[in-house]
Amino acid sequence: MMDVKPDIGFKRELIRMSGSQLNQCMQCGNCSAVCSLAPAERPFPRKEMIWSGWGLKEKLIGNVDVWLCFQCGDCSSYCPRDVKPADVIAAVRQKTYMHYARPRFLGKLVSEPAWLPVAILIPVMVIASILSVAGTFKIPEGPVDYSGFFPHVWLNSTFTLITLLFYGVAFLGLVSFWKDMKRLVPSSGQETGAGSKIFPVLGEILSHSNFSACGSQRTRKIAHMMLFFGFGLLILVTLYAIWASHTGNYPLPFRNPFKIAGNVASLMIYSGLGIMVYQRLFNRSVFGKSSYTDWLLLTAIGLLTLSGTLVQLARFGNWSCAYHLYFFHLVAVWFVIMYLPFTKLGHIFYRTTALLYARSIGRK
Amino acid sequence: MALAVCTGCGIGDGIDMEHLMQVAGEEVDGIACMKHPALCSEEGIDHLLRLVRDAGADRLAIAACSPRVKSEQFRMDGVYVERINLREHVVWVMEPDDEDTQMCAEDHLRMGLANLGAISDIHPYIPEQVHSDILVVGGGLAGLTATLDGASAGYRVHLVEKSDSLGGYAGRLYKLMPALDGHGELREPDTSVLAEQVLAHPEVEVYLDSTIGSISGEPGNFLVQLENGKETSLTVGSVVVSTGWKPYDATRLGHMGYGLSPKIKTLEEFEKHSKREKIPDRVLFILCAGSRDEAHLPYCSSYCCSAALKQALYVRERNPEAQVYIIYRDIRTMGFQEEFYKMVQSDDAIFLTSGVVDSVSPDDARVRVTVKDSLLDEMISLETDMVVLATGMVPSSTEDLQLQYRLGKGLPEIEYSFSDSHFICFPYETRRTGIYAAGTVRAPMDLESSREDGAGAMMKAIQCIECVKRGEAVHPRAGDLTFPELYMDRCTDCKRCTEECPFGAYDEDEKGTPLSNPSRCRRCGICVGSCPERVIGFADFSINSVSAMIKSIHVPDEFEEKPRILVFVCENDAYPALDAAGVNRLKFSPYIRIIPVRCLGSVNKVWISDALSHGYDGILQIGCKPGDDYQCHFIHGSELTEQRGENLQETLETMMLEPERIRTRFVEITDYREIQKIINEYVEELELIGPNPFKSL
Amino acid sequence: MDFPILIVGGGISGITAAVELAETGREVLLVEKEPYLGGNVAGFNNYFPKLCPPACGLEINFRRIRSNPLISYYTSAEVQEISGTKGEFRVTISVGARLINNRCTSCGKCTEVCPVDREGPDSYGPAKKAAYIPGGLAFPMKYTIDAEICQKEACGKCVEVCDYNAIQLDARPVEIELRAHRIIVATGWRLYDASRIENYRYAGEPDVVTNLEFEHLLATCEREHKKLTRPSDGETPKRIAFVQCAGSRDVNHLPYCSAVCCSASVKHALTLAESYPGIMAEIFYIDLRLTGRNEKLLNKAEQDDAIKLTKGKVGRIERDKNGNGLILEVEDIMAGTRRMDSFDMVVLAMGLVPNRFLPAITTNENGFYSAGQIQGIYPVASCKRPMDVASSVKDATAAALKAMHR
Repeated sequence: MMDVKPDIGFKRELIRMSGSQLNQCMQCGNCSAVCSLAPAERPFPRKEMIWSGWGLKEKLIGNVDVWLCFQCGDCSSYCPRDVKPADVIAAVRQKTYMHYARPRFLGKLVSEPAWLPVAILIPVMVIASILSVAGTFKIPEGPVDYSGFFPHVWLNSTFTLITLLFYGVAFLGLVSFWKDMKRLVPSSGQETGAGSKIFPVLGEILSHSNFSACGSQRTRKIAHMMLFFGFGLLILVTLYAIWASHTGNYPLPFRNPFKIAGNVASLMIYSGLGIMVYQRLFNRSVFGKSSYTDWLLLTAIGLLTLSGTLVQLARFGNWSCAYHLYFFHLVAVWFVIMYLPFTKLGHIFYRTTALLYARSIGRK
Repeated sequence: MALAVCTGCGIGDGIDMEHLMQVAGEEVDGIACMKHPALCSEEGIDHLLRLVRDAGADRLAIAACSPRVKSEQFRMDGVYVERINLREHVVWVMEPDDEDTQMCAEDHLRMGLANLGAISDIHPYIPEQVHSDILVVGGGLAGLTATLDGASAGYRVHLVEKSDSLGGYAGRLYKLMPALDGHGELREPDTSVLAEQVLAHPEVEVYLDSTIGSISGEPGNFLVQLENGKETSLTVGSVVVSTGWKPYDATRLGHMGYGLSPKIKTLEEFEKHSKREKIPDRVLFILCAGSRDEAHLPYCSSYCCSAALKQALYVRERNPEAQVYIIYRDIRTMGFQEEFYKMVQSDDAIFLTSGVVDSVSPDDARVRVTVKDSLLDEMISLETDMVVLATGMVPSSTEDLQLQYRLGKGLPEIEYSFSDSHFICFPYETRRTGIYAAGTVRAPMDLESSREDGAGAMMKAIQCIECVKRGEAVHPRAGDLTFPELYMDRCTDCKRCTEECPFGAYDEDEKGTPLSNPSRCRRCGICVGSCPERVIGFADFSINSVSAMIKSIHVPDEFEEKPRILVFVCENDAYPALDAAGVNRLKFSPYIRIIPVRCLGSVNKVWISDALSHGYDGILQIGCKPGDDYQCHFIHGSELTEQRGENLQETLETMMLEPERIRTRFVEITDYREIQKIINEYVEELELIGPNPFKSL
Repeated sequence: MDFPILIVGGGISGITAAVELAETGREVLLVEKEPYLGGNVAGFNNYFPKLCPPACGLEINFRRIRSNPLISYYTSAEVQEISGTKGEFRVTISVGARLINNRCTSCGKCTEVCPVDREGPDSYGPAKKAAYIPGGLAFPMKYTIDAEICQKEACGKCVEVCDYNAIQLDARPVEIELRAHRIIVATGWRLYDASRIENYRYAGEPDVVTNLEFEHLLATCEREHKKLTRPSDGETPKRIAFVQCAGSRDVNHLPYCSAVCCSASVKHALTLAESYPGIMAEIFYIDLRLTGRNEKLLNKAEQDDAIKLTKGKVGRIERDKNGNGLILEVEDIMAGTRRMDSFDMVVLAMGLVPNRFLPAITTNENGFYSAGQIQGIYPVASCKRPMDVASSVKDATAAALKAMHR
């Protein structure tokens, strides 16, 4: 028996974040019926809708089903009460990043517009402090050489350290997320080791098979693939660049295959982003209302990529604003990479973990 | 007497018309006859009028198509028209140019002419004084609407209310639902405005603190005694009963915690509570409390879903911090009320789930409610500060009408003690002519429906008075000018008629002698069928007239192997079904002879014995469906036929006849194929049994 | 003497208003756009909750119309324009071309020689010709020629065989001007267009039918003693699904509840259970809305082994790729499962929309007439809000009284 104590604050948060009049849900189950990803037993998102309606935070946060949704929007477009289940579930995911964020305020920092200045100020201050300690916090003379501004050793060591720090606390969040998933949706039959499911899950992610399962979501799949592989490629290029900076073969010349790959990746990201922004602006019936966090993430990735491109052009062109751009780029890197577990990008961790869990209990 | 035969529509092709007219001459001396190829054409009607005028006839037989068609053309003032259905019942359903078909047509002609000869002139029953005032009992929303609408149509209305104020349930409400389209805010109650209009209307007399002492008489002349401390008596033409409802007795809902704590209330109590008292921070509504429950009220009370949603808004309005929990079975916000449901749901402090309440346990501080089968995926337990039980609607007792009828003081009740009509097409088809139930005493309904219902019932009350003024029956035999006439000298006070009349038209004096109230009568003729002394008859439908029809035909002797089967068909469903069979050209045995009756219940035993002694081989009675969902508009006509059938079997035994010689079957109006099957199978069966031994006598 | 009271619409509500007024002594004029009176219910198999045939009540009302000289009626006629005010409305009525006039005796010779086939008002009724009568209980009892498909003078066979000079193939529509004291608008309802609910595949799948089509199918089977078969291949269906709220309670289609469809589907299921053993019926619903005494129908259905009631709105209907059935995607809410079940036939419990007759009278956002807009004009029954037959008749009777106000 569940002792129901409606958390109206949580419910109102979901309403605010999703922009859905979710209380008008009449529990017809149409959403679960049209959902191509809903499992046969205890399908979603109908039950998540009434849990949201009753403000049952403890049933929703850490619920694996919330992560099996790929927000194709079928449930929203067919919803007879227009309560946009897809957006409500997305809001629950957003609340999940915030819930498991350690320290807590990090979650808030990147989900609420009021905290945006602070969220920006932190990387600005930290980077400025590092530069001050390194003693390079001034515009160097001569041709553009970013390592003169931010020595590689400093850059690589501090950023790696900070990333590890952020991801370390995020990992703690993921551990309790795993425990909550186990508690809320225990395995119904025999549980298989999660380890054996890593490859299937990776395959699933790389192939974007879940997107294919969703109704008429071709464009979304393409956009996500562009972003996904573009982002992946950029990470590879970055790792190579770090290695190159140690071997002295840096900066990379324009024709270096990795440099080319990096620019191709940027183009992929631009295209993916372009599609996403267009759809969010002009195809609301399918994509639903876009929340602050949606736009924040798209903007951050956009600015990250754009500033990266500009930084590169500034180096080749010896622009006078090169170092300002570089500083801006570093802030953007921070925004996307360090904050990753607490923003919508956190789905990289949470969804992967949830998919792993879902597979291990046979729910997928 | 005159006869017109039509040879059109294949009648002339299948039947020897010359011979037919010859038969007419043999049956009725000097009958004026004519034949026309299209009697219903302008030219045919001209001929017909000339024939009637020249012969000076006041009775006319038209041997042509069914009386259900061309009725406008063959309507003739001052002339009684007998339609002999040669088309649908003979030519279209039997072999043309066949000896048996010819005989069938001739026999139907004989029966029609015999009937014309046996009936008497129609003089309608019109009381010397017909009162046009109307009594409305109960001053709630339905009663107020009825009163105002009746008075606005120019009728004087007497409104009797047992409490000291008008308005009833609607008058006690804190607020009303949004207007009809379901949108907008809750409205202030407007019943008092209606009550003021009623009080101010010059054609309305209001009696507060008054109850009915007695109602006697008949439509057009009901004598009403009021009990209000004074000796008030009224004479009215008809009555609207709008005595409303009361909430289901919540003390029987102990399993829902009622009575255990003042924190557990009914909708009615919470309505009052909402006006003034403090509203706690958590209120939980349990819908269908006692409704849709075999142990309590098996029906849906229709109003409670919306009423509870409305009260949820009271909670939120009076205490903006409060949370509302609603546990429902199915939310039944019909039509545009769906918009209201959505409006209530737009308040995020109102929480809804369907579910079945398992337990309600109050303690000093709060109430714990557990719910199974909820939508939240498991059994749930909720803590609340107050519980509101949406109790159902129980109709008030119509016994308070104190009708001085042999059949009881109140209106007959159909299911669940509502005084509803049994007929979907006719919601005001009352069993007490001139007395019409309106509003929640008739059926569970919401305010808007009650309003409409008040007006609808008043319309029928007015119509009844107008019909009495013209001496006409009301629906379903609307326009019928005949009424039952009793030859009291032979009456033995056996009380069959008083007991069997479905409409309570007969009262009794101390000795048990029937006292007829013709304006209460619906002209079904069940009393004709019930009377063992055969003393009841209508001008155009009597023991004699039908006997004459039965005896008019020539029954061939047993060696001719031409059986004769008498088929009594109810005019309401079986007769049109036979016509429809005709339109579809379904084939029937030519051995049947059809006599339409007002209702199977009007078939008198003597007709059966007349037929058997006249040599008919079998008698088939086809009527409307009996049972819980009976279709007989005279309530138990078909059932009576079944009961009487048992007695008839004794008659058959004494006559040493096979039980199969009498058969009763029930059909729906659309059963034209079924009726073909029933008739033809019966004829085949009788052919196997062999001829009626009385034939040769 | 007042002008007559005009009643627009000769369905059950309009007929009721007409006979109630006439029997109270008022002159009435009934205008019906179809060639026959009776409206939607004339094609029904049965009514809930009694499961009795509507033709029974109609027959009584037709008798009341036939025998009452205060009632006149125009069929195949539509109101074109209304002007003037309460007490003295001026009305223009256009009476459609009457290829068969009132001299028709319903002998049926025209239909025997007619070479043109006509689909019934439903696709299930008995096969008919361009010269047709909808059944043995039609009123008025005369044949009609469907002017849309008749070959007119090019054929003329019916004219040759008609002995009563009842057929005029060159008949033209006529306009009639008349005066009316009051106007009762009882134009009734029709179904929402099922093909607009694309995920229910009505347009492409013959075995997905509307509840009205199913009603007609049952009516034909019951009256004509025919086997119940499905449209696609004439096989007897073994499992029939009823999809509730098809269009109703849906902001993408009709935001309101159509009030009758739950009772209608339960009625259909009970009719199947009673007359067609071996057919399983499953009703998929959001909320079961059978108010008042109709609850009893629901109880009967709950107790019947051949009927299953499942809470959950059907999301999608697809043709089964392997078999010949239709797959319904639905969440069985109480069982907690998402089902993809195969059915042989699917009945969409379509929502109702109002018939419109004159743009002059404004409507609410859903197209229904609102009462009290123009003095002396009374919209009644299902063109006012969705309601069942008993409520419509009640409302029509109530409106009759309003029309009698001084």
